[in-house]
Amino acid sequence: MESNPNDYHISFFKPTTDSARRNRNMVIQFVVIWAVAIFGFQILLKVIEKPTPEPAWDIYHSVWGEIAAGSTDATLLKQASQSALSVLGKVAIDPVHRRALDNMISWAAFNIADSEQKTILDDKLRSFENVAVATDDPTAVDYVTAKKELIPVLQEIYGLSPSDIRGRIAAVEINSSMMQSFSDENRMVFREAMDLYLIHNRSVLTDIRFLGFPFHYFYTAVFLLILFVGLCWLYCVRTDMFNKKYGVAD
Amino acid sequence: MQAATGATQLEGSFKIGPAIILITILILFILVGIFFRAKDTTDFYAAGRGISRVGSGMAIASNWMSAASFLGMAALMYGSGYHGLAYVVGWTGGYVLLLILMAGQIRKYGKYTAADFIGDRYYSKGLRAVGAIIAILISISYCVGQFGGIGLMFKWVMGINYGVAVIIGGAVVLTYTLISGMLGVTKNMQIQYIIIIVSFLVPLFILTFKFDYFWLLPQIGYGSVVSDVVSGLPVNEAKELINSLGHDFAIVPSPEYAMPWDPPTGQTFFQWIAIAFSLMIGTAGLPHVIQRFYVVPKARDARWSVVWGLFFICILYWSAPAYAAFGKILSAHPEVGTLAKDAIVVYTAQLGDIHPLIVGFLAAGGVSAAFSTVSGLLVAGSSAFAHDLYVRVINPEASPRRQLLYARLATILMAVIVTLIALKNFALIAQLVAVAFSLAGCTIFPLFLLGIWWSGSNKQGAIAGLITGGLVSVIAITYFIAGKSGVQLPAHEFISYWLEAWYFAWIGAPLSIIVNIVVSKLTRPTPLEIRKFLIEQVHS
Repeated sequence: MESNPNDYHISFFKPTTDSARRNRNMVIQFVVIWAVAIFGFQILLKVIEKPTPEPAWDIYHSVWGEIAAGSTDATLLKQASQSALSVLGKVAIDPVHRRALDNMISWAAFNIADSEQKTILDDKLRSFENVAVATDDPTAVDYVTAKKELIPVLQEIYGLSPSDIRGRIAAVEINSSMMQSFSDENRMVFREAMDLYLIHNRSVLTDIRFLGFPFHYFYTAVFLLILFVGLCWLYCVRTDMFNKKYGVAD
Repeated sequence: MQAATGATQLEGSFKIGPAIILITILILFILVGIFFRAKDTTDFYAAGRGISRVGSGMAIASNWMSAASFLGMAALMYGSGYHGLAYVVGWTGGYVLLLILMAGQIRKYGKYTAADFIGDRYYSKGLRAVGAIIAILISISYCVGQFGGIGLMFKWVMGINYGVAVIIGGAVVLTYTLISGMLGVTKNMQIQYIIIIVSFLVPLFILTFKFDYFWLLPQIGYGSVVSDVVSGLPVNEAKELINSLGHDFAIVPSPEYAMPWDPPTGQTFFQWIAIAFSLMIGTAGLPHVIQRFYVVPKARDARWSVVWGLFFICILYWSAPAYAAFGKILSAHPEVGTLAKDAIVVYTAQLGDIHPLIVGFLAAGGVSAAFSTVSGLLVAGSSAFAHDLYVRVINPEASPRRQLLYARLATILMAVIVTLIALKNFALIAQLVAVAFSLAGCTIFPLFLLGIWWSGSNKQGAIAGLITGGLVSVIAITYFIAGKSGVQLPAHEFISYWLEAWYFAWIGAPLSIIVNIVVSKLTRPTPLEIRKFLIEQVHS
């Protein structure tokens, strides 16, 4: 604000009174804190992140070369299947990827199982599939019973413990029509899916835990909001003080 | 295989308990609306300027916490993980800008609507009319997502078709907005805030308690749920924690849920930043938000009402990610099937086997959230039409009675347009709402920012800036609609990525500001009386 009444002019960056100058400085302080806290932190996350594979990817990666070369060794297939089931357990999977992963675990089960296991698997899987086709209710007694009989068979074939959720996932993903072969096309999609779903942008900020949260998540979802309320509160308190001091009318 | 999925079980048919709760709440809204109904135009537009700071803060929060906050944010986090937090930050961080750059000054300027301010500050009837039209477009765009949310919740409660649900819900919200105007709306908003926040928090306390997390403060307790999603949670055979479909409360390691801009989400770092920025500046440019500062008696009250409003808003925003995290584990089993993301809050409560009446109350809270926002938007839009277009531009001699009639006709027309668009179900609720934010960020925000803080910004600069921001908006929205209609425009992929409909303000707003400044510098200065008014009234 200028003192000459004939040339009234307001400019945030060129204050002409003491109170306007202090207000400008305060606004700049707040905006800088606000911007650095929000965008500065995200930029830091971006700068220090590194593509980090899950343990399931490491296992898959260590065995896939031999499987791709034609090996049907049961141990290798078990490990690759476990990794594939780690992807199938994720909530959002592209249907094309899911189909390739289903093909892989079905084909692997057929190759892992010995003749006795094959007979049991064939029996339990077909029973379950027959019930599944007939109902759309996953809580139906027949459906649940057939699934419960299939799960231990699959846990044994894939080498999964009873507490491992992947055994339960396998029961609804395995498909008897996909057991005989693992097509070249599905192999390609399978590899693409494993890289896509099992490698993540991680850093020390994502790996540290704070109040149970991954630190970066706490910072963005909880702390920033506290900061916003705090900044608003502080701004009001300081503005009230300034206005009182400089006799600014509200 | 997956012949059996839980999604249809969760949807179900007509739910009597939730329906009674919903109907009771709607009747309550209408009764409050009738009790506090608008008696004249001042009441209708600005609630008589008799609302307390805390009350106004609650109204700000209720007005703000729409279906996008209640349903949409959890939906985005459920589907896109950390990317969804850009919306949480964007829809709260903007209040800091709004407060320190505008709230007090807007109240001191002493107008009724955003278009009023634009018309006066830039001494142009034409700009007032354009401002009013933009305010109406923003209100319509914002309302579409809300009507979508109302439709989803009515569909869930009543087991009816989405389209019918949208029409019924739209008719009810229209009825009570017409009866009450903003005075009733403001009173209703305070009641709505209580309903919204209680209905949102109760299931969270139950979920955290039931699944063995720190339940005394679920907003912190869910941190361990996020970490469990990231690290994986094995089947707990000792406690037998299961969802309502009988699946174990367990999940394979899913770091994609919390890791920033993770590849499977298809979202990038740029998009995170662009969305957060666009939503924040959009917040400071939304007519129905700005308009709330006219209903407090003094500039100081306007400032403090922002603090209260933001605090009340944050209570919900601290809580929403918890639904997404629980939803992730509870729906982890492939048998749950594909759930409608926008209803994930309700599905999570259902999968958590929470009592159906409490889930019904939650759904009613979702409807309240949408209702409170829609009513504010309809008032803002109808005010823009009746006050800024009709009275100020077309018929300055119109009687208050006639003004009110036109405001009500405009409300009906807007509701009909919104219903028709909402039936198309273009995108997720939060994304649809974000379009309104970018539109506001590109058009109204620059006019307010420069209008308040730089007296050098003149009519010509405002027109040029508005054309620039408007052009960016038109390009972005045209490409969005073309994409949804299956039409490929030139450089479709490039434009759709850099000017996506939910974040085009990241570039539109700065461009509009720059053009406004350059053109203002090159043309005749702002008239003395405007500059004088700014100094003596707004910055005194």
